[in-house]
Amino acid sequence: MTPAARPLARPGLRIEPLTVAAAIAAALALLPLVAVVVTALGPGADSLKWPTFWRYAATSAALAGMVAVGAGVLGTLAAWLVVMHRFPGRDLFAWALVLPLAAPAFAMAYGYADLFDVAGPIRTALRSALGADVPLETRSLPGAAMVLSLAFYPYVYLTLRAALVNQSVTALEAARSLGRTANGAFWAVTLPMARPAIAAGMALAVMETLADYGAVSFLGVQTLTTGVVRAWSVFGSTPEAARLALPLLGAAAVLMFVERLSRRNRMADTGAARWRPLPTQQLGPVGASLAILFCFGLIALGLLAPAGWLVWRGLTVEPETARLVASGIRALGLAIIAGVVTTALAAALALGAGQRRLLARAASLGYATPGAVMAVGLLAPAGFLWRGFHGAAEGVGVALALLILAYAARLMAAALEPVDAGLERVTPSMVRAARSLGQTATGAAMKVELPIARGALLTAALLVFIDVLKELPATLILRPFGFDTLAVMADYYAKDERLAQASWPSLAIVLIALPAVVWLTHRVGASRPGAPI
Amino acid sequence: MRLGVRMVLGAAAAALLAACSGPAADKSAGKEGGAPADAGVVNLYTARHYDSDTQIYEAFTKKTGIKVRRIEAPGPQLIERMKAEGDASPADVLVVADGGVMGLAAEAGLLQPNPSAEVKRLVDGHLRDERDLWAAVSRRARVIAYDSTKVKPEEVDTYEELASPRFKGKLCVRNADNPYNLSLLSALIERWGPEKALTWAKAVVANMARAPQGGDIDQIKAVGAGQCEVAITNSYYYLRLVANGDEVTKKVLLAWPSIDGRGAHVNVSGAGIAKNAPNRDNAVKFIEFMLSPEAQAIFANVTNEFPVVKGTRMPERVAAFADRPADPLPVSRYGARQGEAQRVFEEAGWR
Repeated sequence: MTPAARPLARPGLRIEPLTVAAAIAAALALLPLVAVVVTALGPGADSLKWPTFWRYAATSAALAGMVAVGAGVLGTLAAWLVVMHRFPGRDLFAWALVLPLAAPAFAMAYGYADLFDVAGPIRTALRSALGADVPLETRSLPGAAMVLSLAFYPYVYLTLRAALVNQSVTALEAARSLGRTANGAFWAVTLPMARPAIAAGMALAVMETLADYGAVSFLGVQTLTTGVVRAWSVFGSTPEAARLALPLLGAAAVLMFVERLSRRNRMADTGAARWRPLPTQQLGPVGASLAILFCFGLIALGLLAPAGWLVWRGLTVEPETARLVASGIRALGLAIIAGVVTTALAAALALGAGQRRLLARAASLGYATPGAVMAVGLLAPAGFLWRGFHGAAEGVGVALALLILAYAARLMAAALEPVDAGLERVTPSMVRAARSLGQTATGAAMKVELPIARGALLTAALLVFIDVLKELPATLILRPFGFDTLAVMADYYAKDERLAQASWPSLAIVLIALPAVVWLTHRVGASRPGAPI
Repeated sequence: MRLGVRMVLGAAAAALLAACSGPAADKSAGKEGGAPADAGVVNLYTARHYDSDTQIYEAFTKKTGIKVRRIEAPGPQLIERMKAEGDASPADVLVVADGGVMGLAAEAGLLQPNPSAEVKRLVDGHLRDERDLWAAVSRRARVIAYDSTKVKPEEVDTYEELASPRFKGKLCVRNADNPYNLSLLSALIERWGPEKALTWAKAVVANMARAPQGGDIDQIKAVGAGQCEVAITNSYYYLRLVANGDEVTKKVLLAWPSIDGRGAHVNVSGAGIAKNAPNRDNAVKFIEFMLSPEAQAIFANVTNEFPVVKGTRMPERVAAFADRPADPLPVSRYGARQGEAQRVFEEAGWR
């Protein structure tokens, strides 16, 4: 069941459709990254001085560290409360805690920056009450860390909750029989065993943080990613932008390595006892109140407060309904197709890469790569296409295909993680049985492995779907004529400093992403073996 | 399951293609007003992000029957895309809301001379590129918003005064990435030379009330909230607040500083014809239309920008500032100083 054991299930080299598909998927994902490295080696004087570079790097590192801790602590506490305890509203919170995932980080930044602006409602009220300004500044490093921690804690919550729901009861029972209390057993046994899940969730949160542009730039925090955009958009220097992106690629590689390493040390599962229900602890009135307060507070701060403020601001202007609907349909169509295509490529990669795990890992690097960097990397290969085929630069189909491949390259990791996890449920003997009945490796994959992992495939598609809805930089630069998505529309208004107008498309993204998020979290709850898939 | 995926994909693709045909406005126009039904298209790459422009496209299509297909993105990114597209680029017209970036596009060889005599007649020489690669279509001043309860107008009638110790810890301004700040500094370098510009930038950084953050409206509101006494802003953001009847404009007023007695720094939105424009005639018509009385009035009315063409009808609030003295620095000089301005910002520690 461990990843190390999996390749044994795939005897021989697969020089067949599956291998070819995997190679194509990997090449697609790696192409923009290679282009970035090649571009970085290109000529072009650097306008940024070293101290500025180090300031960007230090800010990125500090922000990533703060979000890792913030999202890690919030997500872990939330998962521990909801899975291991019983208190009123637990079932509701179990899925509602994931809701902030539906809100794009940039929209939360709009809401919080405006709410806590020096001329905003809170500080104006405090000023008139206290006679002095209280510097509650969201437009700062701690402010950005808070906003991003609230935006990304669901990654830790989701991965840890999935691990806890699937944990073995045996170890817990052993700990209890050796005299540990229920809580003691959790911290001494369960949590260390779930460490890989927490690390994976934190790695996702950190990657999202490093790649974020919309929120940090709106909050005035200058990271490596804003530096990349600055080099590209302000200095007009693609090579310098690519050079600034190299440390981000390096960080992505390290994070990916760490995440894999923690998986390798995963303890062996103890089998049968997993099928029994988890022992949960009933909370007393005080404990239950605190648990409810914590869970509700997280949802309020992560979604309700900033979204509510955006609604309030949005109500002051007339929404452009026709444009919103058209952009919404485009965003929806694009996100669905990108979700399916990316998942298909990820599945091909997971099944066909066999022992060449490095290939799959490398293909995941795009995830921590800012969209703007991907856009830099995609422009070079896209240029070949545009110049090489008559009419390609004008074609809507070509532009959309490029855009979808850009999403696939950027979000391969988001799809690969759940697909890999889903395929781990296919035991080697199942594949061997299929092979012994005359199936090729491709046939076994199509007829046995994929159908068993279909729930995981849907999870992967939905994760990509949600991310594509929020994506901006690649969409902005690669889209065909007149093709506005909701994120493009929100950005358009935010750039023109019309937050009230920007709030409508931002909220529309939340509304479209919400059902997907709700479905995702239900699946995690139902994923305990024995539960219906 | 498979069938399900296919159905979902099919529906999504159908929705996408349906949505691709663009907003209803594109289709409805064309047959009205006696305009020819099939007058072709003009492909527009624009960095402007204002509702005024949508109105101008609609008016243009209604009048000529030519459909406007557009891609909006930040100017330098549009330039990168045009470079990548090379000879195959479908772009006909490039429009950027910053003279400096238009200059970069001209330097990159992405534009061709505009043959229109009408454009030469309507636009003053200093508002056009010397080779006619591009021309201004609207103007905006980068000036000072000040707290009228604490600052006297004569304390803010030059840009130098922003650097004086009088405003220590009292100044709000957005960050150095902003193209409007870059073009202001480029103009100051051109007029003062790099050394004086650097000294100025350092003193402005020392005067900042807070680390640069937010947009221009945020700066004006910060003056209103008392966090600072002066802020650097584009004129149209202040005028938009006036148009909306915002309370803050009672206390915060707009000053009109001058560079060495020549007038305020005025930046432009420029339009040029792409080097490989497949619809060059339509591109010429489009740029001429942006300079028509109708379009010029839309810029003034909707976006509160100053017109380029004299005699344009405009609202009172815009007219109050539109004809104030503006430094007649040739707009093509902004682009030439962009790199230098960048280095000065770096050197001065302006983030």
